[in-house]
Amino acid sequence: MNEPTFFLLAFLAYVLSALVYFGSQLFSKEKWAKTGFLLAVSGLAVHTLALAARTVKSGHAPFTNMYESISFLAWASALAYVLMEGKFKIRKTGPYVMLIVVALMAIASSPLMPKEATPLVPALQSYWLWLHVSVTLLGEAFFAVAFVSSLLFLRADARGRKPKGEEAARAAERNDAMSYRAIAVGFPLFTLGGLVFGMIWAYKAWGTYWSWDPKEVWSLITWLVFALYLHTRIVMGWKGRRSALIAVLGFLAALFTYFGVNYLLTGLHSYA
Amino acid sequence: MKAVWRFFSSVKLAIFLFIVLTLASILGTLIPQQRTPAEFQAHYGNLSRLVTGLDLDRLYQSAWFIGLLLLFGLNLVVCSLTRLTPKLLRTFGSAWTVEARELASLKTKESFTRRSSLEAFVAAARAELGRRRFRVAAKSDSGRALLRARKHTLGLFGSDIVHLGVLVILAGGIVSGLGKYRSDVSVSEGQTVPVPARAISLRLDKFETEFYPTGTVKAWKSTVTIFEGGGPRLTRTIAVNHPLSYKGVVFYQSSYGWDWENPFLELRIKKKSDPAFLKAISLKLGGKAALDDGTEITAVRFLPDFVIGADNEPATRTWEPNNPAVLVEGYRKDARVFSGWIFAKYPEFTHFRDSGDMELAFELTSYQAPQFSVLQAASDPGAPVIWTGCVLLMLGLFFSFYWPPREIKLVLEAHEGPSVAVSAGGLASKGRDRFEEEFASIMAVLRRTS
Repeated sequence: MNEPTFFLLAFLAYVLSALVYFGSQLFSKEKWAKTGFLLAVSGLAVHTLALAARTVKSGHAPFTNMYESISFLAWASALAYVLMEGKFKIRKTGPYVMLIVVALMAIASSPLMPKEATPLVPALQSYWLWLHVSVTLLGEAFFAVAFVSSLLFLRADARGRKPKGEEAARAAERNDAMSYRAIAVGFPLFTLGGLVFGMIWAYKAWGTYWSWDPKEVWSLITWLVFALYLHTRIVMGWKGRRSALIAVLGFLAALFTYFGVNYLLTGLHSYA
Repeated sequence: MKAVWRFFSSVKLAIFLFIVLTLASILGTLIPQQRTPAEFQAHYGNLSRLVTGLDLDRLYQSAWFIGLLLLFGLNLVVCSLTRLTPKLLRTFGSAWTVEARELASLKTKESFTRRSSLEAFVAAARAELGRRRFRVAAKSDSGRALLRARKHTLGLFGSDIVHLGVLVILAGGIVSGLGKYRSDVSVSEGQTVPVPARAISLRLDKFETEFYPTGTVKAWKSTVTIFEGGGPRLTRTIAVNHPLSYKGVVFYQSSYGWDWENPFLELRIKKKSDPAFLKAISLKLGGKAALDDGTEITAVRFLPDFVIGADNEPATRTWEPNNPAVLVEGYRKDARVFSGWIFAKYPEFTHFRDSGDMELAFELTSYQAPQFSVLQAASDPGAPVIWTGCVLLMLGLFFSFYWPPREIKLVLEAHEGPSVAVSAGGLASKGRDRFEEEFASIMAVLRRTS
């Protein structure tokens, strides 16, 4: 079997996982959530094979054009979710994270994304490509999990304020804690991959570690927003709604760093 | 003075600066940076005065943005100092004590009585806590013992290490800004050029462009030799992502091109009246070649990508050989007899002026130029500072998120029997669930001690 087949199988597994998860919530079937999780894990496994097959065939890291990097972000988000779920049992987040994964896979499959692997331009021929991009996207994947649990918090919090909302209020508290845990993983990863590895590679390739290139500035903006999240939470004791809003803004900034900068602004990072 | 200190030490100022720096950074990505005033005038009209007046066209280098960064640094210094001193005293000071009352107010606590001598119990508690990698300090006097066990103490200082890292990075930025050196060195194959402001020079031995089978560029490689004090010092190949470092100066492959001012040209000459006549000549610009009839041919000018410019004069559109053309002149006894542009790709376009009855036809069969490579020579004394800051930053993040500090305190009182009354309490600011499990299992072991 080859990469497109593995990719398609992974896509199918993710779609089924999302459907089963939603079904489990809609019909209150706790057992289905387990099936949803197993489907997500098997999708992740087949997706891993797809990435490996592509790496072997192209001879370089599987994130050098838009198709590849969106597929990799979907993989990283699935991985981040599976890890968080395995450790903290957060089934409520499942359907929505899988929805994001499915959306990313759909974007990657669109005919507008050229699929063929092209040889690497000289600027990308470095092992820092592996380190810089994979760690950054993994960090952003954890921000995606935080984004989902923050949105779920906002929904549960609104319900929890109504009469007989005790159950929703407890769910809200769990979602709030979940966001913090995801950011506690994502923030160091993003700092390492996006900023530190980025600066080292820039120094090696361009001769300057920081050039205020739009992609660099937007990474810094993303970092500042999550730094704001951590400071308001840890030092000033903010929790709940205000924290959730900052986490949502942070993920949107990360998303803009990733997509928006490529399409709307020009700069040194114009590879994809 | 106190009010000033309090202003700079406030977290509110930090949060204000986070937000202002974020908004300013966004603004800088929306307004194109480093453009000419004319471009701004065209783009923003009357607003362009505002844009340039506030330095928004070079926002990240502007005094107000750098001022904000410095204010951010100052806030960090004052904040850290204010928090750090009491924290250090609390953690490493020798004057500590434990009160049973204090333990009772903790969330994680237990108390029980055990049949054992005080000394034996203290030894057992030390052993159990030590086995779990706690560092234990003990104080005892007349039938009473106090134990304080700690681990992951560095976790308490994670945020301070992060802040120190950020400060070192900011300092590195200042060092770079003041001491950075950058210069483009353009050098042709075989040529030796001095490196500006450094007592070294550089010879380009070879420049090559490698291609993939698909035709896209695989690599640009410059093989260079560094000269210092009159002699060659080392020879290396520089490529993108593979710079050469020599005594603090780093050379990067930055750009490349052809030296079209010094081309090697080959022309083929035919005679219209004599189909058997064919002559090939090689020329450099300014060089001359004589024909049998005494006509001297000279190449005057070469353009790699010929166009007629806006001023109706020949010019080159790019430096790629897309439309190579050479201006050829013919002389007989020092008098010019013809002059015209010859196009390599369009021989039929050749048109001669002053030629009268033109006998000769020209073809430009070959055009080559020495390649030159542009290497960027740079030295940045701030870079090592930045890497130090990055290491501190990552260490600090690790300690603050994944090295949760734990503290267990015990008050032991000896009673008749002998027996020991134990009050224990635990403190953990992060990862409390795990800590409570650990605390409970330590207590389970201590309850079995005899």
